[in-house]
Amino acid sequence: MNMQPGVSISSSSRVGAARIGIGGPVGSGKTALIECLIPAFAKRGVSLAIVTNDLVTAEDAERIRRSGLIDPARVAAVEAGACPHTVIREDPTLNIAAADELEARFSDVELILIESGGDNLASTFSLDLVDWWMFVIDVAGGGDIPRKNGPGVLKCDLLVVNKTDLAPHVGVDLARMERDSAKARAGRPLVLTNCRAGQGIDAIVDQILAKVLFR
Amino acid sequence: MIRVESVLGSRADAALHDAIHHLEHHGEVEFVGVAPADLDRRRLLARTDGGEEVAIALPRDQKLYDGAVLVLDDHRAVIVRAGAQRWLRAKPASASDALELGYHAGNLHWRVRFDGADLLVALEGPADTYAARIDPMVSAGRVMLSEESE
Repeated sequence: MNMQPGVSISSSSRVGAARIGIGGPVGSGKTALIECLIPAFAKRGVSLAIVTNDLVTAEDAERIRRSGLIDPARVAAVEAGACPHTVIREDPTLNIAAADELEARFSDVELILIESGGDNLASTFSLDLVDWWMFVIDVAGGGDIPRKNGPGVLKCDLLVVNKTDLAPHVGVDLARMERDSAKARAGRPLVLTNCRAGQGIDAIVDQILAKVLFR
Repeated sequence: MIRVESVLGSRADAALHDAIHHLEHHGEVEFVGVAPADLDRRRLLARTDGGEEVAIALPRDQKLYDGAVLVLDDHRAVIVRAGAQRWLRAKPASASDALELGYHAGNLHWRVRFDGADLLVALEGPADTYAARIDPMVSAGRVMLSEESE
């Protein structure tokens, strides 16, 4: 403890697992990205737990539980019931409770990934819920998405442009989309990913290890 | 790299004040600048004004604030210096304009506070990006804007 002799102040609370958010529009590939991140973090020796958010089902959680990539008990589902952004921003109580419970059940957990329900470009995470968050958009959603300057794109700690492999099939100029993304980000981090080929995954893990887990 | 896992207290706390004051006389107090938008983070990589990296990981029931003491020992203190919060003052011309302005501020999820009949919007980016969202009201003279910081 860094203390001056004679000064006595103590804290009974402890530092828990880091919590990061993964947001983005419906279909941008958030769950697929998590399926890539699980083995990538395992390779780096990071113990994980996951919270998924769906509107009225637990479909994403079930998909990850059945993936065989992680102990199914380490995956919790939150059913938002209404606006997906409400439970990650205005009132994140349900997600905080889910993360707290995972942390209580698995004392070795170092990192909790909290996947938001699919939302729009305006969704952002409360810093009461997460320590750091990324926003996932995808090439097939339209090459103009970065130019729309949505708060999710502008405010996240890391912007992920996913499904780069689809660019030639959906008529998107990937180089231009990358330039537009970089312009919108104004120097803040950006990663291009192709989950099917595992491209860009290590770059995301590197960011999280450095900026959240301080390794 | 300095690792910090709790806030020891405020530099204004009586229990810490004398020790910090003593270190200040010897030039052994360093400050970590934290932007207002980052004060809510429990984990943050920052740098002291002396150039040393500080990895902050706080328990969920603790928060950073201006004057939070992160390190205090015989040789030095490291203290948070919060950046000034910038505000956009929006002055509506009438009660109906105030109603409409309030609607937009809520719909845009702006962080606000009230100052008499004015609305103050906490800025986390360029002021003109906020002004652009209510440009029809601004252009029509129904809301007057000015930027200020505290």
